[in-house]
Amino acid sequence: MFTYTFHWNQALKALPQMLDGALVTLQIAVLSMAIGLVCAIALTAFRLSGNRLLSAVAAVWVEIARNTPALFQIYMAHFGLGNFGIHLSPYAALLAGIAFNNAGYLAENFRGALKAIPETQTRTGRSLGMTPVQTFLFIVLPQMLRIGYLPATNQMIWAILMTSLGVTVGMNMDLAGVTQELNARSFRTFEFFAIAAVIYYLIAKFVTLAARALAWRLFRY
Amino acid sequence: MAATALGGTAQADKLDDIIGSGTLRCAVVLDFPPMGARDANNTPIGFDVDYCKDLAKALGVEAEIVETPFPERIPALMSGRVDVGVASTSDTLERAKTVGMTIPYFAFEMVVTANAGSGVTSFEGMKGKVVGATAGTYEAIALENQVKAWGSGSFRPYQTQADVFLALAQGQIDATVSTSTVAQANVKSGRFAGLSVVGSAPFDTDYVALFTNREEYGLINYLNLFINQQVRTGRYAELYEKWVGGAAPDLTVGSVYR
Repeated sequence: MFTYTFHWNQALKALPQMLDGALVTLQIAVLSMAIGLVCAIALTAFRLSGNRLLSAVAAVWVEIARNTPALFQIYMAHFGLGNFGIHLSPYAALLAGIAFNNAGYLAENFRGALKAIPETQTRTGRSLGMTPVQTFLFIVLPQMLRIGYLPATNQMIWAILMTSLGVTVGMNMDLAGVTQELNARSFRTFEFFAIAAVIYYLIAKFVTLAARALAWRLFRY
Repeated sequence: MAATALGGTAQADKLDDIIGSGTLRCAVVLDFPPMGARDANNTPIGFDVDYCKDLAKALGVEAEIVETPFPERIPALMSGRVDVGVASTSDTLERAKTVGMTIPYFAFEMVVTANAGSGVTSFEGMKGKVVGATAGTYEAIALENQVKAWGSGSFRPYQTQADVFLALAQGQIDATVSTSTVAQANVKSGRFAGLSVVGSAPFDTDYVALFTNREEYGLINYLNLFINQQVRTGRYAELYEKWVGGAAPDLTVGSVYR
């Protein structure tokens, strides 16, 4: 039934263009992860703060980020905000959508990590005369990041794959966008998609290995 | 080998398969009024929908409309989900390396639609602005090349025609180039405030063809004759009047065959 002759020769000519797109993909994933991480730490601190308003903000953020599709989060960042006259470019909307999603998931990840840190750690810090903020920053946070590190690499992979949703908001610079355009021009869908899949796989694999190497450097005694 | 085993009977081709199965499955884009859309009851309507029904009637089978967004036309065909694309597909030489194109069955003129707030009043006025179009369409490819040639401004491809007009209405983009039929349908719909067609785009007429698998000569022959008959019998003009209005454009190019 599948009658299609692969034109690898023609498709591979587009490889440099696709690799340029892959760089943009990686860039968005890394930036969204950095922003997500900062937001997630803030959200976790909000939850611990005991302030009702702040913990409500954190709870709502996590609820929305975890329980709605990433596609909608990105779409809302572009067309949703656009309704109110706030214009995010496709790049910014994609970055904002993924960072929002990352923050929600990472905050949940950190909540789990917090549970693994004995209450005595906080009490020790406080009994040494540290303020609650100091205790969180110097005693709890480093342990939390350490426990949450490997699960967080999952989120990094997910961030890379989420960039492909940018095509719905007019993103044409990342790997998925470049692939779609090449496809539209020549209709060589399967070659381009196969090449893109391999590139996504390699980026994800590279990130996993890099994260593992970094973990080995960071966490050995 | 299989053919020899069947005692020299030729293997059934796609044309036979369609007639044998009793159903013609057409890939139609239903986000491209007036060529394809959905009415209030969610029933597919439009020029392409009627065209597919006419084709099914000629073949003596039932028509099945398979909604297919622009970027998914080829996967739909290659995976065997549809038999024929009746999807306003520009007959570019690049694409003809992949699928079998018929003679043109429709022709589009290109126009510029702009947001009143953008100050764009002509095609040249788009220079340096943020413009967009539906990813993968003839006009999107032409417009993106033009933006590159101008060397200023930027181009955004959206997945659907509805998204393009939504982005235009919100002011995310300043102007778009689309087929005149789509532009008029959207501006008239009243769903988008502040939009108007401000002029024509100097792109060549966009001839669109039916398509099927490249090697299905029997079916392609049939489709070509069908297109010819639609014009001959006046059905093309009738459908054009019904969905677009006015005189139907010429489907032939002077001084050359096909």
